Amino acid sequence: MRWLALIWKSLLRSRRRTLLIVGSLVLSVFTVAVLQSLLTTLDSVTNNPNSGNRLAVRHKSGITQMLPRSYETYLRQQPEVETVCALQWFGGYYQDPRNFFANFASDETTIFQTFREEFGLSSITEAQVKEYLRDGAGCIVGETLALKNGWKVGDVVPLTGTIFPINPRLTIRLIFKSSRPSDENVMHFHYKVLEEGVPRMKGLTGAFWVRVHRPEDIPRLIDRVDRHYANSAYETLTETESAFNLAFVKMLGNISAIIQGITIAVVLAILIVTANTMGTAIRERGPEIAVFRAMGFSASRVLSLLLAEGVLLVALGAALGILLAQAAAGGVRGALGAVMPFFADFEITSATALLCLVGALAVGLLSTFIPAYAATRRPITEGLRSVG
Amino acid sequence: MNANAFDLGEGEPIITLRGIAKSYWRETLEIPVLQGIDLEIPSGAFVALMGPSGSGKTTLLNLVAGIDRPTGGTLEVCGHELNDLDDDELAAWRNAHVGFIFQNYNLVPVLTAFENVELPLLLTGLGRRARRELVAEALDLVNLTDKQWNYPRQLSGGQEQRVAIARAIVTDPDLLVADEPTGALDAKNAEEVLGLMSRLNTEMGKTIVMVTHDPKAAHQARHQIHLEKGVLDRAVEVNR
Repeated sequence: MRWLALIWKSLLRSRRRTLLIVGSLVLSVFTVAVLQSLLTTLDSVTNNPNSGNRLAVRHKSGITQMLPRSYETYLRQQPEVETVCALQWFGGYYQDPRNFFANFASDETTIFQTFREEFGLSSITEAQVKEYLRDGAGCIVGETLALKNGWKVGDVVPLTGTIFPINPRLTIRLIFKSSRPSDENVMHFHYKVLEEGVPRMKGLTGAFWVRVHRPEDIPRLIDRVDRHYANSAYETLTETESAFNLAFVKMLGNISAIIQGITIAVVLAILIVTANTMGTAIRERGPEIAVFRAMGFSASRVLSLLLAEGVLLVALGAALGILLAQAAAGGVRGALGAVMPFFADFEITSATALLCLVGALAVGLLSTFIPAYAATRRPITEGLRSVG
Repeated sequence: MNANAFDLGEGEPIITLRGIAKSYWRETLEIPVLQGIDLEIPSGAFVALMGPSGSGKTTLLNLVAGIDRPTGGTLEVCGHELNDLDDDELAAWRNAHVGFIFQNYNLVPVLTAFENVELPLLLTGLGRRARRELVAEALDLVNLTDKQWNYPRQLSGGQEQRVAIARAIVTDPDLLVADEPTGALDAKNAEEVLGLMSRLNTEMGKTIVMVTHDPKAAHQARHQIHLEKGVLDRAVEVNR
């Protein structure tokens, strides 16, 4: 018999209790891992490394209000500006409402330059771009989205509008690859499809995406654009792409505070449950601990064994919880990645897994130490008296 | 020698108590349990500690076994002044010199008979093979080789106590202490266990100090020491 075998056998003393505590740990670690990963994912939305030189110009009253497309001319005239792309969320689905994904009507002439990092321009040929520009009913889709739906270039994709009362039939002219899965869950089609199909949208757009030459010019440009349209019928709110995405995320509420609150509640709950379980388990073993010490096991040796039991128990629960969260992350990517593109990047990072593991081990140590220390400080004779 | 001092015959003493006192405190009230005990027990002795409940016999046994500390006096057991040892040294001393036999056997329920016997050897630094040999020897001595992979719940009370005895002797201690070792056994099993202890004393030279209420059990010992209200009352040599 080795020490680990002794610890393991002691853990299995009450299989039901061990199973229940491991089960509660699995669920807790799973919950914390998923919530923390959600935070990481949302954080990456607002800290997209490709966003550094892009601005979003939208209506000051909110993203549901439109701006005149004529603003594009003024924006292009600014010396800091490289390209301007009108972009409107279309909100259509393919065949079934559950097949919802991100789709936009966008200015086909500037979309590639404005979002060149996302489109992975090096993998796109000039002929492919020309083919898309030529076909007014054409569209471009990311590879992940195409693979999910079994689409290939030349396929016709009927979209059913949910915001606008049109159902365009779009021909795939280009499938692009991107460095981030979230950027591949997107479809773009010609802006005029929206303008021609929805008369009220003629000459209007939800937002302009502006690419600047140098990021350091952004503050000056933001100030100038918003001052230019101040007190007009369509006042603008210009902000960095990161700030825009943050506002979008904030529509979900103060997610960060909610997630941190739930995480703290879960950690405290599991700490109390584990401490109570370990306390009961150790108290029940008072006579046995006395016998161990009578045989020559020092108090520190017994304390180490009990702590090792607690740590092994939570490590087991934490490892299973992390594995479960990893499996769930795949499900989240599949189920939500198309609807909300940033979920396509959802994963349990090694940093999150490590955080959960370290947190769980801390809970294990903390919840075991107090009852274990008390038990090993109890006089041997007192422990033996409670035998039988 | 005063009335509270006994010498159980010739031979090198393995246990020497000088003026041993032990009191417990209940808030501010001191409750004396042992008072000024002087006792020498020679190596190889088999001593039964007897007396009514509260006479201090288990307390005396605990002091001799190094699982409790006196409030007064000195005790030297197996060549060590126990008062001089700190808690960790005392634990190591117990592992090397003392084997325990309890009334309720106190086997670890999740370990097999073999693993229970192996427990004290985990502290010795012996390799796996050496440990296995010693465990096999101890189980053979108590005639339980065929039950070595059984768990305590699969053993009878007598078998459990024999496993406990194997565990007590596996480190080859000089001293065996037994607290009512037959208290939970029927007559037949009690006789077997006492016979085994007697063999350990006579054939292997183990010094045994046993607390018992049972006159039959006490009769297996070579000396009976009676305690009364915390003092040594009388010592009797058993004629067999």
